[in-house]
Amino acid sequence: MANFFPRWANWIPLKIVVILGVMGTAAIAGVWYYFTPKYTRVGYQPVQPVPFSHEIHAGELGMDCRYCHSFVEVSYHSNVPNTQVCMNCHSQIQKDNPKLAAVRTSWATGQPVTWIQIHKTPDYAYYNHSVHVNRGISCVSCHGQVNHMSVVYHDQPLSMSWCLDCHRHPENALRPREDVYNLDWKPEDENAKSFVAKYGKPPGEEDRDFSRDDVKLTQLEIGNTLKHDWYVNPPENCAGCHR
Amino acid sequence: MKRVFKHPPEPRGGKKYWRSLEELAGTPGFEAALEREFPQGAAEFQGGEVSRRHFMRIMGASTALAGIGLAGCRRPEMHLVPFTRSAEWVIPGKFLFYTSSMPSARGYVPLIVSTYEGRPTKIEGNPYHPINDGHGGTDLYAQASVLDLYDPDRARSFLEKETESDGAKFEKFLDQLIAAYSAKQGDGLAFLMEEDPSPTRERLRAEVEKRLPMARWCVYEPLGTDNTATAEEIGFGPGVRMRPLLDKADVVLALDSDFLGCAEGTIEGIKGFTKRRRIDQPGGKMNRLYVVENRYTVTGGMADHRLRIPASQVGVFALQLASEISTATGDATLTGVSQTLGKTGATASFPAGWVEELAKDLLANRGRALVLAGPRQPVGVHLLAAAINSALGALGNTVTGIVAATKPAATIGDLHKDIEDKKVTTLFILGGNPVYDAPADLEWGKLQQSVPNVIRVGQLVDETSSLATWHVPRAHYLEYWGDGRSADGTYVAVQPMILPLYGGWSDNDVLAKFAGLPKPVGPELVQESFRQISPEAGADFDAAWNKFLHDGFLAGSGPGMEQALFFLSAASGAYIGENANLAALSGPGNYEIVFTPDFHTYDGRYNNNGWLQEAPDPITKLTWDNAALISPATAKELGVRNYEAAGDIIEISLENGGKIEAPVLVAPGHADRSISISLGYGRTVTGRVGTGTGCNAYPLRTSTAPYFAFTQNVAATGRRGALAITQEHFSMEGRAQIREGTTETFEKNPTFAKVMGMDAELSKAGNPSIYTHPPLTGQEQWGMAIDLNTCTGCNACVIACQAENNSPIVGKEQVINGREMHWMRLDRYFASSEGSDPDPEMLFEPMLCQQCENAPCETVCPVNATVHTPDGLNSMAYNRCIGTRYCANNCPYKVRRFNFFDYTQRPITALYRGPLTQKGAPDTIKMQKNPNVTVRMRGVMEKCTFCVQRIEEARIATKVMAGASDRVKIPVDSFQSACQQACPNEAIVFGDITEPESKVSKLRGSPRGYRVLEYLNTSPRILYLARLRNPNPRMPGAEKIAAFETEYKAEPTETYEGQPRNGYYP
Repeated sequence: MANFFPRWANWIPLKIVVILGVMGTAAIAGVWYYFTPKYTRVGYQPVQPVPFSHEIHAGELGMDCRYCHSFVEVSYHSNVPNTQVCMNCHSQIQKDNPKLAAVRTSWATGQPVTWIQIHKTPDYAYYNHSVHVNRGISCVSCHGQVNHMSVVYHDQPLSMSWCLDCHRHPENALRPREDVYNLDWKPEDENAKSFVAKYGKPPGEEDRDFSRDDVKLTQLEIGNTLKHDWYVNPPENCAGCHR
Repeated sequence: MKRVFKHPPEPRGGKKYWRSLEELAGTPGFEAALEREFPQGAAEFQGGEVSRRHFMRIMGASTALAGIGLAGCRRPEMHLVPFTRSAEWVIPGKFLFYTSSMPSARGYVPLIVSTYEGRPTKIEGNPYHPINDGHGGTDLYAQASVLDLYDPDRARSFLEKETESDGAKFEKFLDQLIAAYSAKQGDGLAFLMEEDPSPTRERLRAEVEKRLPMARWCVYEPLGTDNTATAEEIGFGPGVRMRPLLDKADVVLALDSDFLGCAEGTIEGIKGFTKRRRIDQPGGKMNRLYVVENRYTVTGGMADHRLRIPASQVGVFALQLASEISTATGDATLTGVSQTLGKTGATASFPAGWVEELAKDLLANRGRALVLAGPRQPVGVHLLAAAINSALGALGNTVTGIVAATKPAATIGDLHKDIEDKKVTTLFILGGNPVYDAPADLEWGKLQQSVPNVIRVGQLVDETSSLATWHVPRAHYLEYWGDGRSADGTYVAVQPMILPLYGGWSDNDVLAKFAGLPKPVGPELVQESFRQISPEAGADFDAAWNKFLHDGFLAGSGPGMEQALFFLSAASGAYIGENANLAALSGPGNYEIVFTPDFHTYDGRYNNNGWLQEAPDPITKLTWDNAALISPATAKELGVRNYEAAGDIIEISLENGGKIEAPVLVAPGHADRSISISLGYGRTVTGRVGTGTGCNAYPLRTSTAPYFAFTQNVAATGRRGALAITQEHFSMEGRAQIREGTTETFEKNPTFAKVMGMDAELSKAGNPSIYTHPPLTGQEQWGMAIDLNTCTGCNACVIACQAENNSPIVGKEQVINGREMHWMRLDRYFASSEGSDPDPEMLFEPMLCQQCENAPCETVCPVNATVHTPDGLNSMAYNRCIGTRYCANNCPYKVRRFNFFDYTQRPITALYRGPLTQKGAPDTIKMQKNPNVTVRMRGVMEKCTFCVQRIEEARIATKVMAGASDRVKIPVDSFQSACQQACPNEAIVFGDITEPESKVSKLRGSPRGYRVLEYLNTSPRILYLARLRNPNPRMPGAEKIAAFETEYKAEPTETYEGQPRNGYYP
């Protein structure tokens, strides 16, 4: 009886397995990378209805974040400034700039400016700004150095594991309260002497001498001190964020 | 320094987000889509270099994205829309609280309303109001009223002869009307209103009457207190009302009076009564309640002694009691009243010794006793009750007088006569719904059509609106400025929380026009009334007014309404003889039909409120319907019974031609040969929720017999009607979940509740657990105590929970399938020493997630969607849940609820059609949702969270306050759970159980405490405090009181349809 299948057909099953394997791996790897917030969110930079530059306002002019995001310290929501806030200055400064046409129209008509939302937690995650900024977490930890962004983009993934990294190790992000809105703050800028005088020595370094001027503090030292001094204990259970 | 404003540079990496490939490809829709996305940029397409660059950038970025092709997977573009100008007080993301009050004929209910970004979301009691004594609390109608505001079926437009019109046209029409009637001094004009103790409305009425003296002013409440008011007028003089002071009474007798129920009672009465039920230590004193009624009410459930007699015999009972008391006291007035009334000759017999011993107990507590008669009872019974109170020295002690908040008005009967005589040419019907609820003999529908001009102001287009010339949308009380008097006479404010959603008019708006004023735009009408009422308004009006709005009431304005009570002996005799009848079964073979307020819809007005429709009736556990309640014996006599989720339909017909059909519901503890049927169902023109629910009992109700009717013609039809009942079981199956004892038991053995049922067998060391559990290391440990002795079973907590936690309604069909979504339920148990006792006791037990420390649900969840938090919460992560329902099956308390359908997204009438129906909730329903609680979707398990959103809010607030310090412990009792806040009686107390000073810790110290199913070693965080009864040892049947002391030992005795049952199973 003649062979129905030519000899090369013997390789077909193996080829199928190999090709499927390669394709499957590629699919998994693709999803792994492209479906995560790290890819889908970071870098998101929509064009806003008003070409507002944080670089100019918060960076060059040095305006405090809270001038516009005025309720960040009391509310869960860090509000977007209303037209009135823009017009506080721009009724006198740059009052004919064409880029501000939308703001002036809004002021004249009463129709609000529709900003495009960049940072967003899911509906079932209840993030609260006030508790973070009041307890030594800077804007920069989640939003990046907005004062150097002429157009704001999504800087951090804001995924759940990213949240939990910090909730488990808040010392990596804690800083003195007066520097929460100082987006250029660096731990080594902190004056060790006055820091230790105010908050005590970092845990485990009680014997070290911090009175010399050349002592530099690390983020971990600052974070651990504040965590201990303020009893920082972020929730790690589901109910902390999901209700 | 010159600054160059730079246009945003190219995004890094070319990653930009576009909504669709149409934009990319430049299809004809491209420009339009772009227009939506970039309102400024789109206009630039006309020409110029900038716009060309803009276009190229879009194209370039889109092309870069095309290869990846994930545009469709990305999140939709969302917008942040701030105010243009700052709004006063508003902080985005924070609640704002305003005081207000809810209009009610029985006294305005003082409230605090939470508003979120301009929309009211939740109603709470005002704790600072004098009747609330530091702890708020509302009834369930107030809790549910916020849903009425957002009812998607509310009337949205002005209708003239059923065609769409608008407010301006109506106002023009109104102006012409006013001009025409002013010339005639108002002759031919009539107003039909609801009872409303509002000073501003009274003031406007006086103004209108001054300008239009011939206009007719008529007030109609289908479930009003006309009989009480008539009796009070005879007994105490015109304009005087009785105000019972239940907190002063040691012995209370309720004659067919459901003063603890939401439909007849007031918050003040409920609070006063339960204040005397708090008993912390053995030997403490507690009041005693006697109840005489035909059907079980929540008041009957609280009774220490309850007599089950037909409602029409209550008069005879009162007469016999009066003669006992008048013999003992020799009180001339009482003797006079009872002799006059005795001539009616009605007789009935009651269990031997009941009346005598009751009289002795009342007499032994002179000055501390109180007799209450229900509004259903005829004038004679009210007069007897007043005379007995007078003879017992109650006047001035346990009952005080109060000036009536409104002047008397014509009745609907008077108006009927005037219309028949063609004296009325224009009729204003403000609120109410007379076509549906007027007495049947008035034939209001036909009558109303004979009036040339009928203007109806109503919230819904209903029966009355559909027969009116004009329909005007009526403003909800959260939309207008108003004022009122609460039950104690205190002057309270009604503040608008939101502009009228559909341009509705309030009653005062209409009346203001007739008083010659412009339609009010602000609080000017109320300010004028305030100026007249407040003594401080003259000095500094703004300060006084702002304080009034801030507090919600005018301090000290209640006592100003007080009036001494004297029973007028001389005034009574003649009138009583002529008018005050005592109803009694008029002949052998008669059935008594008793019309009661409905728990869900009251008199029909809440018919389209889904929360109320689905709140199980506390006694029958019936939802979405009313039914004819009958006793088991009467059911046997009629040959009808209940089935699983159904009842035989009976036909009731009266001699005067009224005829209805209703499914029966066999109700333990109901009087024999008496049929109770609630009013307020069977509406024909209503919204989507109320359509097709229940049967209408109003056709049986006439102006001569508004509360009882008698007939021999009651017969089974052979058909069955579906009934959605949430609790089919009446007994505890021997598990002693609910525990009660007498005050005597408590004195002898204070910890009796800890050793009932299986708990008596528990070893001292406790049961070992085979599971390991997470450590409870939180700074606070949350727990709850529920005092069964002060829980009246009113259900306010159930609705409060639903409002707070965004629980959906599921509809009648799904309730029949056992899929109701309430996180909290009130278990109702009947108890009797002998299985077939027709006089069982009734008790309530609020049941919610017990937050077990050894939670059985947690160990079976395959995905860790339900886990324990360090502060002792059994938390539920909805977005992890995959819907195996293992947890619900393993929960011994059955408190977990599963979303079988997308209840919030799909219409409940078409759940099974799933994606074939339209998706999405009406906008107004979304507006009510609590923004701090996830709206759950299909396939997700949910349950009570101990209001975790409030816990977290409190924790966050504490941490925000702490700032750079370590003061992060949440202050004691700084917040409440929703059920606790709604409970008028503080029966539910929530808090930190590790803090000895917290209210909950103190309550948990009570010796009456026990935990449900303790022997399962689930270690619940909710402690129940056993119910106590205070029987009079000399009363007949006193030895059977607190039957649950022995209930779980009872053998299955009764056989029904071959099924052995414990207790009752009709």
